[in-house]
Amino acid sequence: MNKIKLAVLGAGPGGYTAAFLAADLGMDVTLIDLNKNPGGVCLHVGCIPSKALLHVAKLLEETKHAKKWGIDFGDPKIDIDGVRAFKDKVVAKLTGGTGQLVKQRKINYIQGRGQFLNPNTIKVEKTDGTIEEVQFDKAILATGSEPVRIPGLWIDSPRMIDSTGALELKDIPAKMLVIGGGIIGLEMANVYSSLSTKVSVVEMMPQLVPGADKDLIDILTRSLKPRLGSILLETKVVKIEEISEGLKVTFEGEKLNEPAQIFDKVLMAIGRRPVTKGLGLENTSVKFSEKGFVQVNSQLLTDDLNIYAIGDIVGNPMLAHKASAEGKIAVEAIAGHKVAFEPAAIPSVVYTDPEVAWAGVTENEALKKGLNVEIHKFPWAAIGRAVTMDRTDGMTKLIVEKDTERIIGVAMVGQGAGELIAEGTLAVEMAATAKDMALTIHAHPTISETMMETAEMVWGLSTSIYRPKK
Amino acid sequence: MVVEFRLPELGENITSADITKVLVKVGDKIKKEQPLAELETDKASMEIPSDIEGVVKEVKMKEGEKASAGQVLLLIETESSESVPALSVKTDSDAAEIPQEIKPALSANNDKVSKLYNFKLPELGENISKASVTKILVKEGDFVKKDQALVELETDKASMEVPSDVNGIVKQIKISEGSTANVGEIIFIIETSDSDSAENKTDSAKKIDSPQKPVPEAPALPKTEPVKKEAANEAALETKSIIAPAAPSVRRFAREIGIKINNVRGSGPGGRISIEDVKKYAKSLNENIESASSGGGFGIKTEPLPDFSKWGETDIQPMNNVRKKTAEHLSYAWASIPHVTQFDKADITELEEIRKQYGKLAESAGGKLTVTAILLKIAASALKKFPQFNASVNMAGNEIIYKKYINIGVAVDTDRGLIVPVIRNVDKKNIIELAAELAEISKKARDKKITLEDLQGGNFTISNLGGIGGTGFTPIVNAPEVAILGISRGSYEPKYSGSEFIPRLMLPLSLSYDHRIIDGADGARFLRWICSALEQPILMSLEG
Repeated sequence: MNKIKLAVLGAGPGGYTAAFLAADLGMDVTLIDLNKNPGGVCLHVGCIPSKALLHVAKLLEETKHAKKWGIDFGDPKIDIDGVRAFKDKVVAKLTGGTGQLVKQRKINYIQGRGQFLNPNTIKVEKTDGTIEEVQFDKAILATGSEPVRIPGLWIDSPRMIDSTGALELKDIPAKMLVIGGGIIGLEMANVYSSLSTKVSVVEMMPQLVPGADKDLIDILTRSLKPRLGSILLETKVVKIEEISEGLKVTFEGEKLNEPAQIFDKVLMAIGRRPVTKGLGLENTSVKFSEKGFVQVNSQLLTDDLNIYAIGDIVGNPMLAHKASAEGKIAVEAIAGHKVAFEPAAIPSVVYTDPEVAWAGVTENEALKKGLNVEIHKFPWAAIGRAVTMDRTDGMTKLIVEKDTERIIGVAMVGQGAGELIAEGTLAVEMAATAKDMALTIHAHPTISETMMETAEMVWGLSTSIYRPKK
Repeated sequence: MVVEFRLPELGENITSADITKVLVKVGDKIKKEQPLAELETDKASMEIPSDIEGVVKEVKMKEGEKASAGQVLLLIETESSESVPALSVKTDSDAAEIPQEIKPALSANNDKVSKLYNFKLPELGENISKASVTKILVKEGDFVKKDQALVELETDKASMEVPSDVNGIVKQIKISEGSTANVGEIIFIIETSDSDSAENKTDSAKKIDSPQKPVPEAPALPKTEPVKKEAANEAALETKSIIAPAAPSVRRFAREIGIKINNVRGSGPGGRISIEDVKKYAKSLNENIESASSGGGFGIKTEPLPDFSKWGETDIQPMNNVRKKTAEHLSYAWASIPHVTQFDKADITELEEIRKQYGKLAESAGGKLTVTAILLKIAASALKKFPQFNASVNMAGNEIIYKKYINIGVAVDTDRGLIVPVIRNVDKKNIIELAAELAEISKKARDKKITLEDLQGGNFTISNLGGIGGTGFTPIVNAPEVAILGISRGSYEPKYSGSEFIPRLMLPLSLSYDHRIIDGADGARFLRWICSALEQPILMSLEG
């Protein structure tokens, strides 16, 4: 049987995961991307560099915290070039690594800008100036997303940056405004504030990370507040002007102390939008939704029978792990396997300190849909490990279906929530009941014990909290 | 304190009921025995009375929903001063609207373009579920006409060609030469602009379907309403309705063997579905298909319903429980009992006089001296005289079960459909008592106060349509009984007395019986005896 010729446009986590699996399954794979190595936004200017910087930020915060434990590190000497170099090294290592994997799998990697000429051909304008045409049987569209800029507010100035600019870490501004209290904005605020920038966050909605459960975000906000200059909720930015002292930002909102402030840098992190223009998709049967996402079915197949689409371009949540999971399904569908992308839970993580993480049904969703659930919350102040780390700013929450006692949602806020949520995601996917969680022995002393104890709350039998069921 | 009022057990084999009417609201003061709701099960409608006194604090049931035995229906505040907080979803009063970015889950659900037609392997013959593909006669890109042969197949019985039922272009060939194709499996995808291709989309508008269904489905109404396209990002994950409680590996397994995982009942804790559950379900599907396609084991091929809206407007109503049960029960009775109906007429001219004369006696006892009431007593005597009519058949054990008691059911027409309450020990009651009981039970049935017990345990059934009219009908035996007596409208007919024609009031009777244990002669005798008893009432006491 002839090998299926697969073209993957975009080598981010979605694209490269798909390409690697396709090669492993014996397909003839061509991977096209603007960068020299795969990795997309995630490895180059997203997940990876931000986590490297957040790791540095965490250390800085912990050293300050250590004063309470009798250890005084004094004021740290921060060599910004050194910090940047560390981050760059991390990125280089990982992107180089994926580049190696491409070679090992004998994937045809083309660095350039791709455009569909028709449903069987992609024309690539390579970075060396030449043109190459790629014929394919099937294609996977994985061109990802880009930061949104509000046209009326964005100023072309080195002081005005988006997430990519923030990660470049050109310098440590004395005073910075982050527009947008979502995940990306907060993570950058977290990084810069530990590097001693006075950071203000402005958000239109009544809470940070709008849409996430309020109880989790309250704990996050309480922890972040002392480290940030100010958090302006229910406030809008109406004007930004460049003056000699910096960027003058005018706000609008009910709770304002000062209607305008001057900042050295302004980071706009109000959201991302799918990259779908300039790809020649009008030469195919691919169709879009009103919001501009590519329409696909549960096999990730678009309206063009030859083209699949994955990742940020098909919709929310715009997460790397969703893209790679979709990539695998798309490739399996192309290989003729009977598959569909129908996860029971996709975890979300806010990598601030403390982290916030959730998977499955949220409390907000349960309310909105009128689901018949019980919600149990366990404060980390009651668990030994949190006290030993002197980090009791945390909570574990389980959303349990009343009739079946099945765990349908898990959420937590606190140090390490991002790792711990994996157990929750597995529980939801496996349709575990609260009993399964309560009966599984969790190591002591760990934060993971909170999962077991929260489950025990279903019967009022949590060891560390006295809350008998009436 | 606040007490939970739960739905009590409803009866054997009954796990749930539909809530037809909620009779109380928050704030109502309720007394013991006060009805709280009206429910409908397969068998009957009933009211649920309260077992305590108090004030309704919360109503947890909704009209039109199903309730299971043990389910909490109400929260009632009783006299005690301490109030226990009921379990509920804690809400933060200012929870923000969920913007799309944060939603942690997603469901992709686009169905394909309306121009693509999934050509499925059609029925090939009785009991044939698959065939070998010997030769594919077209290739991708070919233009095909309706009735053009697409592929050659070979079954156990014969070789055959499968023709296209649309005009169009072959977009995808999903089979290969030498492989096996299952009836119902999609074998070609054809791009067509034919407007009347009956199944021109993937079968289900639901969100999970993969286009392949190797297991032939039970006949379904082909959908022609346009499939709504929803962008993948807009739909939120509805854990209850889409994702079945099964581990990812189990969901994948189900998809691979073509099983809709949401239809599988999980035997694990909390309803969790294991691989074994999926296998069991698949097996039962196959067994059902075999029996369904053989018409309950009688070699009858099922015919799928056409799309009636093709010819005009239609209105689709769901069956209520009584109708559903009636339909299932009668289908079974008709298919499993060899029916013979015997017709006869009884001269009730004199009986009419007797009815008028003694009518008041019955009324003062609370009943009406109707023909049905009288026939109840006559039938009881007849069942004593002809014991094979007071029996049931056990074909599996090759046995006849003769009953020593005599309970007779009387068909009652209610607004929800036909129900048959049973009068017990008819032989031990006189006609006046039977008339009174008949009136009481009919009222109970119409007032929805019938219990399950009232509908069980009958040996014989009487169905009187005379009040409405008609000269005769062929009633269906109420399995597992073996005979049923139908009564039509009495009318004056000329009877030859030997010398002249005189008008006599004649009552038509129709007796259907199970020919497995009742022969024609017995059938005629039984009915004749009943007619004679109507004509000569003393026969009841003489021989009954």
